[in-house]
Amino acid sequence: MTTFMRRRRILQVAAGLPAAVALRAQNPYAAATSGKPDELPKLEAIPPDGVADSKPKFCSGLQLAALRRLADLIVPKLGETPGAADAQAAEFLDFLLSESPADRQSLYRNGLDALNAKGFLKADAAGAAAMLAPLGKPWTYKAPAEPLAAFLRTAKADILTATVNSKEWIQVVSQRNRNAAGTSLYWTEIA
Amino acid sequence: MPSQVHDVVIIGSGASGAMTAYQLTKKGINCLLLEAGPNFDYSKDRQLRAVYDLPYRGFGKPGRFPHVTQANEFTAALWADEKQNPYTFDPKDPYYWVRIRRMGGKTLVWGRASWRLSNYEFKAKDHDGFGDNWPVSYADLAPYYDQCEPLLRVSGRIEKLPQLPDGVFLEDKSGDSASIARFISAAKQKGIPTTKQRRAQGTLASSANLLLPDALATGKLTILPNAIAREVTVDKATGKANGISFVDRRSKREFHVKARVVVLGASCLESTRLLLNSKLASSSGALGHYLFDQFYVKNTVQAIVPEARNGKAPGGLMGGTGYIPRFTNLDKKDTDYLRGYAVDFSSGGTPDPKYFPYYGEDLQKALAAHTNTGFNATTMGSVLPRFENHVSIDPVVKDAWGIPSLRISARYTANEFKMATDAMNTLSELCHTAGFEMLAQHDQMVPPGESIHELGTCRMGDNPKTSVLNKWNQTHDVKNVFVVDGSAFVTGGSQNPTLTITALAMRAADYMAEEMRKGNL
Ligand SMILES: Cc1cc2nc3c(=O)[nH]c(=O)nc-3n(C[C@H](O)[C@H](O)[C@H](O)COP(=O)(O)OP(=O)(O)OC[C@H]3O[C@@H](n4cnc5c(N)ncnc54)[C@H](O)[C@@H]3O)c2cc1C
Repeated sequence: MTTFMRRRRILQVAAGLPAAVALRAQNPYAAATSGKPDELPKLEAIPPDGVADSKPKFCSGLQLAALRRLADLIVPKLGETPGAADAQAAEFLDFLLSESPADRQSLYRNGLDALNAKGFLKADAAGAAAMLAPLGKPWTYKAPAEPLAAFLRTAKADILTATVNSKEWIQVVSQRNRNAAGTSLYWTEIA
Repeated sequence: MPSQVHDVVIIGSGASGAMTAYQLTKKGINCLLLEAGPNFDYSKDRQLRAVYDLPYRGFGKPGRFPHVTQANEFTAALWADEKQNPYTFDPKDPYYWVRIRRMGGKTLVWGRASWRLSNYEFKAKDHDGFGDNWPVSYADLAPYYDQCEPLLRVSGRIEKLPQLPDGVFLEDKSGDSASIARFISAAKQKGIPTTKQRRAQGTLASSANLLLPDALATGKLTILPNAIAREVTVDKATGKANGISFVDRRSKREFHVKARVVVLGASCLESTRLLLNSKLASSSGALGHYLFDQFYVKNTVQAIVPEARNGKAPGGLMGGTGYIPRFTNLDKKDTDYLRGYAVDFSSGGTPDPKYFPYYGEDLQKALAAHTNTGFNATTMGSVLPRFENHVSIDPVVKDAWGIPSLRISARYTANEFKMATDAMNTLSELCHTAGFEMLAQHDQMVPPGESIHELGTCRMGDNPKTSVLNKWNQTHDVKNVFVVDGSAFVTGGSQNPTLTITALAMRAADYMAEEMRKGNL
């Protein structure tokens, strides 16, 4: 008897099931599994983000720490609504960057290094806000010429997307708004 | 059996190839249609998935589609793979070539906007002296537009605008939201016309659900998927085409089919690539030249309807869409550029977070306050067809099946840049008059190609010395080769081209059927 079957038995007893059901449960075939011999049901499963830590691939320890702080400032946890930290947005972006084209990689590397050079990790709230001041400028079609400003603009968009596309965010926000945000038709790769 | 000579072999199952198949089979002509992509089975090809369940959280694999901004992780498998299907350009002048290689072609996901061209396009040279007229006039094409609109189920509103001929529409009787009405009234004050969208109805209005099933039902159509046409083959004795050589997409096995008539509907640049690789229809020197499209300035203006802030929009204020047809340089020259632009505008939705100069809690508050407050407009401008903008066969690069790739040279010029700036200024003024608050405006066009309306490179004309096709989409050089897609266009205007592509394909098919009946083909 597997642990699963044993647990099932225990549950049935505990639930005080009617005698007939308990009897049927004694038939080892009837009790063995609810699975059908000729059907493959879709098993509920999860992506890794919620249960495992990803190994940093792109950022140095200091860069990742800066990206985490930046992500937390861009999308903080607000009440019930998860933030970038809950969504592990920084960890996800580290992975995405490891596969990204070189210009994207250097935008992030230089941007995070520039923040660290200004003491971003140790800065208090006001100090950090001063470093993010370029995000307070009105949007223009062309990216800002100043490298840190250009990095912050890209990072803001990426951190937002990485957060609102996370399971943590979607489960809370879609449920609250009773919609299917984050679900879409996926095209299977051509064989 | 394999040595059978088919009446007509058609390349491509998109708007143009499928319309040709539809019309020819209706007239009892046997057609074999070769489609480079796979057949589809919607139950297997598409499934609902959560974005967090995708390996790249919706961002998509970085670098997979550097030139398809429309691709995302959900739709990645839909677009033609750029590594398998490479093309080249001068890095200074990037070209964004957007392709779909599946049964149905790009009509699987097209936006379905369906406008007629007018004699302002067909006879553009008569109006402003630039370029050339088409060898057909609006009157030649009108009976075909009349048949295509009901096939695609186009809805629209009768307006009697000379630059945007009315059609056989499912009448759009919908009203306008108050914000749209304000914008329309601002436009009217400046003498700028507006109308409802004209759009094929249904979530899917593809050749694969509207045209190919009826063509198959005639018993006259055979469809061969996974067949990538390599070359049109020619009988040396007669100089006429005698078939198509193609390669199986999956096995790379090589085949040949014989045909009395060859029809290319592989999409604008793919048909031209086929002709260039076949060294056919090039005597005029125009093959590959006069590439153009519509330029797009996406979200030229992004505004806010202030009364809708903080969820306070009264019922009926927000929502809805509309269209500004070209209104410049119609009866007289009234700008410092030639021709003109059209605009898609829409009300509703929350503006993108990038427009708000905040982050953190302030940003979330701003987004909440601006839920369903947005108004935006996108410019679609006509691009002058110029000989210099052209495609040729790249001397080195080949696709995954060993077929030589295209090299594309295209850039926009002062006429387009001036028009884009004028559109931005005009739209910004209209938003102010309508009482909207501007969040952002710009006049930066997307790179050539990105509008997915590539046109020209096999242009029509009466003169075989300056054009590739005659007025029946038939190559001047080889009588039994037809090209029925957007490559035939001489000018394009600011209207989305597909309705005109289908009308031309249907007309070409009628001509082919008649010539075959007379024994001329
Ligand atoms: C997202 C999107 C939105 C759009 N919105 C609009 C709109 O609102 N209004 C509008 O007018 N147009 C719109 N378009 C453009 C419209 O889809 C095209 O104009 C239209 O599909 C062109 O038809 P076609 O037959 O020329 O090419 P396609 O539809 O691309 O079909 C060509 C077919 O030929 C096949 N093929 C290519 N090469 C070969 C070969 N060597 N051998 C065999 N087969 C080959 C391809 O696999 C493809 O299936 C849109 C396109 C997209 C992608």
